[in-house]
Amino acid sequence: MTTGTAPAWQAISSDTLRKAIPWLTLIVGVVVLQASFASSDGFPAALDTFISDPFDALGAWIRANRRSHGLFTGFFNPLTDVLNFSIDGIEAVLLWLPWYVVVGGAFLIPARVKMWKQGLVAAAVLIYTGLIGLWEPTMETLALMSVAVMIAVLIGVPLGIWAALRPTVEKFLRPILDAMQTVPAFVYFLPLIGFFGIGSVNAAVATVIYALAPVVRLTTLGIKQVPVQSVESARMFGSSTRQTLLKVQIPMALPTILTGLTQTIMMALGIVVLAALMGAGGLGENVFQSLSQRRTGRGIAAGLAIVAVAIVLDRVWRSLADIDPLSRTPRRWMWGGIGTLVAATVIGRTMGVIEFPDVWSLRLFDPIDNVVVWSRDNLTWITRPVNDFIVAGIVVPVRDFLTETLAWPVLPFVTGWACWKVKDWKLALFGAGSVVVIGLIGMWELSINTLVQVMTATIISVAIAIPIGIWAGRKPRIEAAMGPILDALQTIPSLVYIIPVVILFTVGVVPGIIASVLYAIVPGIRISALGIRQVPEESVEASRTFGATPRQTMLGVRIPLAGPTIMTAINQVIMMVLAMVIIAGFVGGGGLGFETIRALTRSLFGLGAEVGLALVLIAMVLDRYTQAWGERLQPPTGH
Amino acid sequence: MDEANASCLELTGVWKIFGTKSERALDMAEKGASRAEILSATNCTVGVHNVTFDVNWGETFVVMGLSGSGKSTLIRCIAQLTDVTRGSIDLDGSDLTRMSEADLRQVRREKMSMVFQHFGLLPHRRVLDNVAYGLEIQGVKKQQRAERALEVLEIVGLEGWGNHYPQQLSGGMQQRVGLARALAVDPQLLFFDEPFSALDPLIRRDMQDELIRLQEQMHRTIVFITHDFAEAIKLGDRIAIMKDGALDQIGTAAELITNPATDYVAEFTKDVPKAKVLTAADVMEPLNGANIESDRVLANASIESILPSLLTRSEPMEVIDTDGVAVGMIDRQAVARVLEI
Repeated sequence: MTTGTAPAWQAISSDTLRKAIPWLTLIVGVVVLQASFASSDGFPAALDTFISDPFDALGAWIRANRRSHGLFTGFFNPLTDVLNFSIDGIEAVLLWLPWYVVVGGAFLIPARVKMWKQGLVAAAVLIYTGLIGLWEPTMETLALMSVAVMIAVLIGVPLGIWAALRPTVEKFLRPILDAMQTVPAFVYFLPLIGFFGIGSVNAAVATVIYALAPVVRLTTLGIKQVPVQSVESARMFGSSTRQTLLKVQIPMALPTILTGLTQTIMMALGIVVLAALMGAGGLGENVFQSLSQRRTGRGIAAGLAIVAVAIVLDRVWRSLADIDPLSRTPRRWMWGGIGTLVAATVIGRTMGVIEFPDVWSLRLFDPIDNVVVWSRDNLTWITRPVNDFIVAGIVVPVRDFLTETLAWPVLPFVTGWACWKVKDWKLALFGAGSVVVIGLIGMWELSINTLVQVMTATIISVAIAIPIGIWAGRKPRIEAAMGPILDALQTIPSLVYIIPVVILFTVGVVPGIIASVLYAIVPGIRISALGIRQVPEESVEASRTFGATPRQTMLGVRIPLAGPTIMTAINQVIMMVLAMVIIAGFVGGGGLGFETIRALTRSLFGLGAEVGLALVLIAMVLDRYTQAWGERLQPPTGH
Repeated sequence: MDEANASCLELTGVWKIFGTKSERALDMAEKGASRAEILSATNCTVGVHNVTFDVNWGETFVVMGLSGSGKSTLIRCIAQLTDVTRGSIDLDGSDLTRMSEADLRQVRREKMSMVFQHFGLLPHRRVLDNVAYGLEIQGVKKQQRAERALEVLEIVGLEGWGNHYPQQLSGGMQQRVGLARALAVDPQLLFFDEPFSALDPLIRRDMQDELIRLQEQMHRTIVFITHDFAEAIKLGDRIAIMKDGALDQIGTAAELITNPATDYVAEFTKDVPKAKVLTAADVMEPLNGANIESDRVLANASIESILPSLLTRSEPMEVIDTDGVAVGMIDRQAVARVLEI
């Protein structure tokens, strides 16, 4: 970059000195700041209410005006009513129908387009939820998620198409979508409660906001990926913009749009448990009960039922989107099926055979409880030292060092320096500024507390995930074998597998960290394996022909070439860990997670805004920093 | 045959300049600045440089150029897939460049269609529905358009393939679908944008022969883009050679071969098997009242076919047209001169 134009002083000074200057700046800066601010006691608390006051005022205003102001009577309340009506309506219909009719319907809709296997799977997982005695909450969750996914599609697909056709719209949407995916979902729970009140509606809206991004993104991608030639040939035959869109672009983008839909359903699934926190009821409620009763088995049963809802939604939506006229089951059969279901409904309703028979109920999973209890009683020789090491060896000393020993200005300085080193002064300004803002709003100690836990979880996750990922990337068979375990970890709501961890380690910092690790290693493993697999075979063979050992090939070729992708993996690990902060709060992790729950359950708007802002800033700094690092690892291109 | 001589498509002073400062680039270009100078001064690329030509009714007009010569840009301009910077493109006397989007759509539905280099088929539709696409857009009834599509599929030799999907067909067959789709709407003007260059050599030759056969029956007006000079002389009634966005020469294959306007054109004609391409009429000299008492050759006979009899005699032979009227004479010196032997 600067070759040939380097200033004279740089050319004179030795290479080592030039490399040392940034580090010297760091050391000098830290020493000076530490020395001059050593006596100051934590972050000055002068300004810590400038965010919370207006938000508390907003909260009070909402409470006072909910029934009178035009914004509510004219917009939010009717919207809430409509959504409530559709969610309750669907739920009522699902519960009014005899259970076997619902199961039959779940089979029949995919069967309409000859998706026999998908139909059978959808029916089977529904029967499972009945067998374990969770039919009713399952129907509640199914109704809530159907509405949420439907809204996400109705908003997301047109928005995605619009963005694909108008570059300015895409430019405008991109940062918003980025923010929607970076910001942990629970941050905007509280404002939603303010506008929509407690209940399933705000849970549905929260789900839509959280899960909208993949639909929009993949719709845009799908439309843009349609070959120019196909669009131009449509134009050459005199198609109008609308005809081109309906007959060419949307049908050709459909597979990609469906991928987005599946992702949206998966993300919505992740939020079901948290939705219970906002009064949505359903299966999330069951998971919370299992957590408070320390019943691992029941938690797993309910968690699997949530996965079942996601499977049903995915299969049904996919079959609805199948537009190929060739794959239609003969109409006679379909009428036969519908007739059977109607007859079954009439007969079932009159005979009173509606509810799922109580077969196993939750007892099926009780043995798991025994295993966990046995482990708690007999594995203390492992769990106790692990617990003590993480708490007394890492979290507490680091936290005390950051909050008590270090003078507060050192932290923004080091953050800024690290950002500058990896990218430029703009990022440095953003990083340092964010740290200062977190202090200003009075979130200094809580944020450091959370940050230490997040970093601990991240380091453990990376230490586990990256080596496994690299290993799996080399051996496809191992990756295939790990597939189901990884899928389960990612799809079963995280609160479920936190239950045994809480039982084993008791309440505190450690269960949160362990649950975060379990949740975050999945993308870590997957993405780093992908990075290793994507290394061009040619480069590897070139290395081998020069007589490199497997180790040399790995260290010299594969890992450097996979570097940017591995950084993406680390970035995803951090984002996943951050998404778990609130879960950690549930099990005694303290920090921002606990404050979030406090703000949510007591409708403390000011506190919610402060916690939310602190989390968003932490997430954005970490996200941009790791992304910038990934860019640095990218080999320079020829241009 | 008055209509045959009237022109169907007229391009007048067509310019296409890519970039934001196109006005300034245009000024520079008109004052004779080179492409590179314009690029460095305005960051604009000259795609099409002041192109003017007419295409006659029923004629196959080939634009031949190497990659980067602007030939694809030119056909995209003519088809209005991209806007022209200056100039007019008249079809049946109305200027396409000044048409509203709605009028243009109507012209596209009624008068023109196009065959694309990479086929541009719609993978989610069966072959039959691909072929019927243009009719569907026009609002033709389902039954009617299916009948027409079947008819055209038969013309291009794809009967029985209607229910397959495009990806299930070979490249050559896919381009036959592309051809059928273009023919289904019964257009008077057909654009071919390097339609055969993605195909294997043998299949390419088949498709060229197929096009010649179809054109003998249909007599459509065709604008054909290619980078292959052999393809140009095989298909083209007239050929335009394009270089750096401008036309070097327009003429019949024989005119280009016997009388190349620039060294660039001569480069292409050098390796052409002239004896196969040229006819007696292309090489003959005027009779000037001479009376030749010898065998006669037909004016449209290829040089290759008359070469054996020509080489055995030192005196000229008489060239006659199909009505038996003497139109010129030809001797082995003239042939040797043209063939450079």
